[in-house]
Amino acid sequence: MATEPVIEQTGLQGPAAWEEQAEREQVHGLGPWRLGLRRLRRNKVALAFGFLFVLLVAACLAAPLWADHVAKTGPDTNHLSDTIQVDGETKNVVELDGVPIGPQYFKADGRFFLGADRNGRDIMVRLLYGGRNSLLIGVSAALITTILSIVLGLLAGYFRGGADIVIRALLDIIWSFPVIILGVALGVALALGGLSIGPITIEGDSLLITIGIIGLVYTPYMSRPIRGQVLALREKEFVESARAQGAGPVRIMFTEVLPNLASTLLVFFTLLIANAVLLEAALSFLGAGVRPPTPSWGTMIDEGVDRIATAPHLTIVPGLMLVLTVLSLNVFGDGVRDALDPRAKVRIEH
Amino acid sequence: MGKLSRRTLALFLAVLCMAVVAACGDDDDDGGGGGGGGGGEAKTGGSITISQTSQPDFLDPALMYTVNAIEPSWLVYTPLLTYPRTGTDRDSELIPGLAEEMPTISQDALTYELTLRKGMKYSDGSPVKASDFEHSIKRVLNMESGGSAFFLGIEGAQDYVDAGKPEGDISGIETNDQSGKITINLTEPDGSFSHVLSMWFAAPVPSDTPFRNMTETPPPGVGPYMFTESVPNRQFVMEKNPNFPDLGEDIPPGNVDKITTLIIKNAQRQAQDVISGELDYMQDPPPADIKPEVKAEYSDRYEEVTTASTYYIFMNQRVPPFDKPEVREAVNYGIDKPALARLFAGELAPGCSFLPPGVPGFDEAMDIEECPWGNPNEPPDLERARQMIEEAGEAGTQLTVYGNNDDPTDKVTAAIADQLNKMGFEAEPKILDGGVYFQTIGSAKERAQIGFANWFQDFPHPKNFMFLVDGASIQPTLNQNFGNVDDPEITKGIAELNQEPELTDEVAERWRELNVQLVEEAHIVPYGHRKLATFLSERMDFENCRRFHPVYNNDYSSWCLK
Repeated sequence: MATEPVIEQTGLQGPAAWEEQAEREQVHGLGPWRLGLRRLRRNKVALAFGFLFVLLVAACLAAPLWADHVAKTGPDTNHLSDTIQVDGETKNVVELDGVPIGPQYFKADGRFFLGADRNGRDIMVRLLYGGRNSLLIGVSAALITTILSIVLGLLAGYFRGGADIVIRALLDIIWSFPVIILGVALGVALALGGLSIGPITIEGDSLLITIGIIGLVYTPYMSRPIRGQVLALREKEFVESARAQGAGPVRIMFTEVLPNLASTLLVFFTLLIANAVLLEAALSFLGAGVRPPTPSWGTMIDEGVDRIATAPHLTIVPGLMLVLTVLSLNVFGDGVRDALDPRAKVRIEH
Repeated sequence: MGKLSRRTLALFLAVLCMAVVAACGDDDDDGGGGGGGGGGEAKTGGSITISQTSQPDFLDPALMYTVNAIEPSWLVYTPLLTYPRTGTDRDSELIPGLAEEMPTISQDALTYELTLRKGMKYSDGSPVKASDFEHSIKRVLNMESGGSAFFLGIEGAQDYVDAGKPEGDISGIETNDQSGKITINLTEPDGSFSHVLSMWFAAPVPSDTPFRNMTETPPPGVGPYMFTESVPNRQFVMEKNPNFPDLGEDIPPGNVDKITTLIIKNAQRQAQDVISGELDYMQDPPPADIKPEVKAEYSDRYEEVTTASTYYIFMNQRVPPFDKPEVREAVNYGIDKPALARLFAGELAPGCSFLPPGVPGFDEAMDIEECPWGNPNEPPDLERARQMIEEAGEAGTQLTVYGNNDDPTDKVTAAIADQLNKMGFEAEPKILDGGVYFQTIGSAKERAQIGFANWFQDFPHPKNFMFLVDGASIQPTLNQNFGNVDDPEITKGIAELNQEPELTDEVAERWRELNVQLVEEAHIVPYGHRKLATFLSERMDFENCRRFHPVYNNDYSSWCLK
């Protein structure tokens, strides 16, 4: 239903009244980014989850502070034969039969806040350091996916023809494998001998291997939609106009097409981090991701499974951190999408 | 929220719920008290159901080489020589199995002569012939079995392998089906060859047994039991062999009529099923998680026995800093053995001797009280280790500690790296996949500095351990002397003792001296011997019917129902 503009009665009539109204409302033709930000600010749920994610990141970044000043131990330091004072009583960190101490919270001045693992390592410290690794892998892998997807999507969508056919075929090959199966296959294969490309050698237990694998397996899920958008954008008038002015393909791709993909890329990037963190956990749980004893939430869940009946917190706490991270990124990512382009259908489905 | 997000959330909630439900699972079974023992009347008959976590590698005597396969199968395939099943100290001494007597060994220790007992039949009723022995050895060699290396010392064995023809001849084995006589000629003396003849690889199978993996239809053998069903990854069934001959009281028949082995991946479930009586035995120990409860509440049907095995740290003497004896000594002083034992959930007896209990040459005093590096049950002399490393100029030296991802090896490797750091090194663990670990550290190219190693006996002969530190056995690939131990005296000693065809007390004493020398010169860091657990159901007669064999672990033929 059409609605008439409502103008407050100020005594003025006609154009003068409209001008004053516009001045009062400060509506100065907002750009898409500011408009998006304004919409995002109105989405309290998305903001709350965004804040939660920032909190999680801050907690993980503060891992050394907790380790040095509260737990007084590092993430890899074993305490197999050590004892601690709990409420004035001496307790083994790991009993003779191998059972480690449970959560002590603040009864031991913050030491072994969530208990110890079988090596007598402080679980709280490993949880925070593990979070750093999980998030590092998530963000780095998402960056790799984004860069690869931009390059491949632009090339395939802009040039079409042979480039499109070859790139699409490559992406289809990767796409044809379920993400986890491909991730596990690559993870196991590369864990054995590492990766050697010319002068660059990466050890099999390096985090770079996991980052690279996750970055690669998600590439088709982002580059195909980008290619679709580039196909549409290259037919727009402003691209025609740039071409008519003599701009070359590279310039058109990076100055005309890419800026118009920015909002899509941003939303994809947020969702990709969540998916990459999740995949890292899955791969590490299956023994094809982060190699022990390096902590990550996935390896911690794996290590905790053996004791799930008597110490469920070993599995539940890193699992919960994972859930909160993925949930916060997904909700925030959806909020960003709604704010920047409500009609967009940005999904990573596999 | 996106589609994936909802799916992800649902998945995680489901996982969390499962975790919580699993954590809250109750366990009301009541245990009894009391301890083990034996010596009462054994009831015969009945059926039992037991479990393994993974399928045996093979159920074919020519190919099998894992505990999962050997523990049940040694009761199906009796070799020419074997070990008594009496539950006494004699059980690691060789006795004639299908042979009438122990072999006659020539003066030069190159020829072994045996004669088959008369009138024996396989479980399918067909007669046992002397030529079946040669067929069994041919199957081992032709099918590239893990056991083929044991028989390559037989004259003509290598030529038979090279020819690649299954029906070819091994010139060093002569058999006579009429007299039952078997003559084996070796290319050079092998002091442990009698024990090799007692391995399942050498157990006769009928001459028409094909040259292929027979796991799904295991060949007949001569033993108290026979395989009657084998469905890989699901179950296999053993039933009493109606044709089992009287081989004397040292090789008795079984008690229960039928033993069904189920393959159940989940160790938690296996333990719960043994507690509730749905299973009568689980081959793997109860998971660390519920072991304290099992030990506390079901001690009347749970027992741990130290096996003939050694867990040790190798130090590659061809790679710095372990080319320096003082650094190796420092590591021996600094390794916290009781701490490492905790990682095995009580299933490791800390020790110092490389030769383990049950193997001739084992020195009990040196293993514990007289260990040159301190009592392995007490905290290490870390300060001394630190000082020695400082004096050797190796403080801060970077080390890569090798280990694999099997449980608890990964944790042990992390703990060793941590202990090396406490001594003053900068050590990082390197965890490889269990499937390629030993090949990797056995490759000279890898130059593995230091890491995890262990060995379980194939047979109770010191050579079966000492070859791991024999300088003569070093090779560029598939090297099992991971630390490249190449002490001329030890190498010479092993070569000399290997000429001795019989393991007399005097020979055993000389092996003991070599073992002491190996430990005192800090060539390796032995830190313990593995224990194995036996956990039986309530309906099994744990008190009167239970033998743990020093070579083959649990003796199923000893079990009976209450």
